[in-house]
Amino acid sequence: MRPSTWHRLDHLQPVLVGMLAALGGMTLYSAHADWGRQALWVVLGAGAYAAASAFDYRRLRALAPGLYVTMLLLLVAVHLVGRTALGARRWLSVAGFPLEPSELSKLMIVLVLAGYLARHEKLSWRTFAGALLLVVPPACLILTQPDLGTAMVFVAVLLGMLFLGGARVSQLGLLAAAGAVAVPLLPHLLHGYQRRRLEIFLDPNQDPLGAGYNLLQARIAVGAGGLFGQGWLHGLQGQLGFVPERATDFVFAIFAEEFGLLGSLVLLALFGALLIRLLRSAAVAPDRFGELVAGGVLAMLAVQVVENVGMNIGLLPIAGIPLPLISYGGSATITTLAALGLVQSVMLRRRLVVHQDRLQYGDAAAPVAGVVRLQP
Amino acid sequence: MIDPGRWVELGGATPRARWSARLVAAAALAVLAVGVLSVKLALLQVHDGARLAGLARANTVHRVVLEADRGIIYDRHGVPLVANSPVWELRVVPAQLPVDAVARTAELAELARIIGVPEERLAGTLAAADPYGAARVGTDLTQAQELAINERLPELAGVAIQRREVRTYVDPLIFGHVVGYVGPLDDSEVRELGRLGYQPDEVTGKVGVEAGLESQLRGKDGWADVEVDARGQVVKTLATQAAVPGLSVYLSLDAALQRATAQALAAGLVRDHKAAGASVVIDPRTGEVLALVSLPGYDTNLFTHGISKADYSRLISDPNRPLLNRAIAGQYAPGSTFKMVTATAGLQEGKITAQTLLSCPSYINVGGWIYHNWASYSLGDMNVAKALATSCDTFFYQVAAMVGDVTLARYARAYGFGETKGIEMPGVMPGLVPDRIWKQLRCGVPDLNADACRWTEGDTITLGIGQSYLLTTPLNQAVYAAALANGGQVLRPTLVHAVRDASGRVVQSEHAEVTGMVPASAANIQAVREGMREEINRPYNMNYWFRAAGVPADGGGKTGTAQWGGSGLDLPTHAWFVFFAPFAQPEIAMSVFVERGELSEVEAAPIAVQIMKFYRADRDAIRAS
Repeated sequence: MRPSTWHRLDHLQPVLVGMLAALGGMTLYSAHADWGRQALWVVLGAGAYAAASAFDYRRLRALAPGLYVTMLLLLVAVHLVGRTALGARRWLSVAGFPLEPSELSKLMIVLVLAGYLARHEKLSWRTFAGALLLVVPPACLILTQPDLGTAMVFVAVLLGMLFLGGARVSQLGLLAAAGAVAVPLLPHLLHGYQRRRLEIFLDPNQDPLGAGYNLLQARIAVGAGGLFGQGWLHGLQGQLGFVPERATDFVFAIFAEEFGLLGSLVLLALFGALLIRLLRSAAVAPDRFGELVAGGVLAMLAVQVVENVGMNIGLLPIAGIPLPLISYGGSATITTLAALGLVQSVMLRRRLVVHQDRLQYGDAAAPVAGVVRLQP
Repeated sequence: MIDPGRWVELGGATPRARWSARLVAAAALAVLAVGVLSVKLALLQVHDGARLAGLARANTVHRVVLEADRGIIYDRHGVPLVANSPVWELRVVPAQLPVDAVARTAELAELARIIGVPEERLAGTLAAADPYGAARVGTDLTQAQELAINERLPELAGVAIQRREVRTYVDPLIFGHVVGYVGPLDDSEVRELGRLGYQPDEVTGKVGVEAGLESQLRGKDGWADVEVDARGQVVKTLATQAAVPGLSVYLSLDAALQRATAQALAAGLVRDHKAAGASVVIDPRTGEVLALVSLPGYDTNLFTHGISKADYSRLISDPNRPLLNRAIAGQYAPGSTFKMVTATAGLQEGKITAQTLLSCPSYINVGGWIYHNWASYSLGDMNVAKALATSCDTFFYQVAAMVGDVTLARYARAYGFGETKGIEMPGVMPGLVPDRIWKQLRCGVPDLNADACRWTEGDTITLGIGQSYLLTTPLNQAVYAAALANGGQVLRPTLVHAVRDASGRVVQSEHAEVTGMVPASAANIQAVREGMREEINRPYNMNYWFRAAGVPADGGGKTGTAQWGGSGLDLPTHAWFVFFAPFAQPEIAMSVFVERGELSEVEAAPIAVQIMKFYRADRDAIRAS
C-alpha cells in the first residue's frame, strides 16, 4: 500500500469493526448458532469491505438510479418468488444461498438518497418531496413482507440524511408533525401481529406465555447477567433456550447475560465509538456525496443498534432488526461490512492539503493551490 | 509547521469547520442514545439483577419430587396383602409448550393421538390447568403408550412421563375391611397434611390399617433439583435426595385363617339367608388379631384412583352397607353373651356362689312388669354354670337385681365393654355401657327425675342379660372372649405383628399389652368359664356342631340372640357367639356376629366351629411365627 493510502485510512474503524465481529462470533458460538457459517459470512463480508474500500465511491453516484431500480426489482421479486419463514416472505434463493434483499436495500437506499441529495447543495421543498417519494415505494414493499424493522431503518436513514443533508428546520418540523399524526394512526396501519407486539411491549404480562414471553425471557436473561455476567457459555437462560431467536433478534440478551453490565457497556462503547468514527468520516469527507454516504451508513447502523438493544432490554417495541456485526445472518453481515467499506472508501478519497501552514482536508476534486506532495 | 517528510493525521482538530452544527448534534444524539441504553441496562442488570436472576433460576432449576414407595402390608407370615404396581402418567406444562401456534397444535395432536383422547379435550384440559404446573393429562398409560411418548420426548416440548406406584389390593372382599385403601387427598386433607409435606397429588390411607398405620407405611419423599431447558427437558441433575420407602408392616393376621374365617362366615350367611355379619379372632395370650372379617365386603381397588360417582353411589345406596366395617364399627346389643359379666359380678360381689341355686322360672315380675325367660316353662333350680349353659334369663335377672346397675356397669367396663383401646385402625366405635347416670345425662330433659331420665329396675335386669341400652362391637366381644379365655386380662387388640424397614430389620414389634384386669378372683372367673364349657357341651345343639365338624368340643363359648329395635315381643334379633379354645390353655378367642340372625346356636355358633376346625388343622402353621 502506498503510504498516502495508508495514512488516509481510518485506522480505528476496522479495529472497532474487528472487535465487534469477534464479540459477535463468541456470542453466536454461545448461542449455538451455525458458527462456521457465520465465519464464512464474515470472511465474505471482509472481502466486500476491502472491495468497497478500493472501489471509488464517487462512481456510485452515477449508478444510483440503476441501484434504485435494482432494489425495487429485488423487493418485488421477494414478493413473487420469495421463501416464507416465520410468517414473512423475506428470502430469495441465490445459488443455494438465502439472500435477504431487505438487508441489501438498507445500503442501497443510503446510496440512492446520497446520490439524489448530493445534486442539491440546498434542500428545496421540491428536493425534499423528491427524497420522500424515493423512499416510499421500497419502504411499502418491505412493510408488506412484512418487515416493520427494516421499514423503520428506511425512515431513520431518510431522517438522518435529510438532517445531515441540510434540511430546513421547517421541513424537519413538517416531518415531526407528520410523525405525530402517524403514531395514533399506526395501530390501524399495522398487521395484527405488529399491533400485538406493540400492545405486548406496553404490557408484557398481558400474554406471558405467548407474544409477551419472548420479551419477558429476554429481559430476564439481561437482568440475570448482573454486574459481571454469568460467564461465557454459562448463561442459564440463553444456554437452555429460554431466550427466543437467540442468534438473531435477541442475541444481545445472550451477550448481556454472559458478560453482565460491564460487558454490555463495553459493547455499547464500541458501537458508540464506531458511530462517532462514522460521524468523523462524514465530517472529513471530500465531497457532499461522500459526506451523505457516511451519514447514511451512520444512520443505518445507529438505528439498528439502538432499536435492537432497546428491544432486548424492554425499552423499545420488538421489531425484527439484527444487531450489526453481532447477529447471525449472511445478508446483514455482508451488507454492514460493505457499507463500512464504502465509508472507508470515502476516507481514502480525501486529499490532505496544507493551507496557510495548517494541514487540513480538502475536496479531492477541487483544484487547491499549494497541495503538498508529501511523497518522498 | 508540518514536516514535509511525514504524514500527519489531525482528526477532529481541523480548524476548518467541517464539523458542522448538524454533525455535532448527531454526535450528541448518538451519545444520548447510548447513554439512555446504558442507564436502562444498569437498572435491569444491577437494580433488578438479583430478582431477574431468581426468575432465571426458577425458569431453569426445578425441584422434582421423587415419590417414596409405600410400605407393603403382609400377614404375619409374610404373605403380601397389597402390591405396588407401576403406572405411567403423562404430564404437560402448558407454559413450556411451543409458543408458535402451528407447532403447538401439532404437538397436542400428536399427544392426543398417542393417549387416545380427542384433541379438543386435551386442549381444554390444558387451557384450564395452571400454566406453570405439570397438568396430569393421561393416567394409566399402557407400556406401548409410554414407549411411544418416551421415544418422541426430545421433540415434545413441555412433556414429561412420570412413573407412579399404584396400590392394588389382594382379595379385597376378604381383606379389604382390615387393610383398607388409599385414595387421593381431599381438599381438607390437602390443607392439613400439606404441613406434613404431603403433595397435593399424593395418596393417603383412608380406612383400615392403610389409614391406621399411615405414618409407618408412607415413607419419605425424596427430591431432585434438575436443570431443564426451555422445552422442559431435563439437561442435568444438580442435587438429589433419595426417597426413603415406607416401612413394611407385618400384620398379626394369618391370611389363611382370615380367608377361612371369611369363608365360614360367608357360608353361614348364605345357608341362613342372611346378608351381613362379622367375626374377630384374637390370640388371648397377646391380643394379636388373627382374623377380622366384616361382610359384605367391597372392592377397595375401586378407590385407589379416586372412585367414580356411579360406583360410589352404588356402594352407599346398598342396603347391606358394605362400606361399614361391622367388626369394629357395628354396635349391637350383645344379648346373652353378656351373662358372663353378670355372673362374674354376682360371684365377686358375694351375691351368689358357684353353688348357689336359684330358680329359673318362665318369667319374673318386677314392679308389675313381666320379664320372660326364653323358655315358656320352668327349668328348675340351677347354679351359675348351668344357668350359663342353659342361658337362663330369669336366673340372671335375679343376679342383676342383686348386684345393681352401677356395679354391673363397672364389671362390664372392666371386661372392656364400652371402649376398645388401641387397634391400629380408625373408625373403631366404643359400644355403650349404660347406667343411671348415663340415662339421666342422655334423656335431654332438665328435670333429672322425669320418667324418661329415671333408671328403672327393669333397666337393671335387662342389662343383666345384655339388653337394655347396652351396645357392643364384634371387636369388643372378641376382647371380652379373650379376657374370659386368659383368666381376666383385658388385652389391647393389635393388628401389628412386626414393622420392618427396607433392609428387613424389625423396627417395631408388638408385645402383649394388658389394659385392664377383671376385678374378680381366679376361682370366680373359673366358675364362669366352667359355665361356658358346659354351654358348648350341651348335647342337643352346640355339641352337635362340633361333632359334625369333627372338632372336639374343647373350649368355652356362649351364644347370644339379642333383641333390637325397640321393645315388645317378637323383636328382630342379632345372633352372637363368643368362644375360646382350648379350654385349659386357650390359644384362640373369637366373636361371631350375624346381623338379623334369629338363632345364635344354629347360625352363629356353627361358624365359630368351622373357624375352629380350620385353626386346629392349621394351628402349627399359625403358631410358627
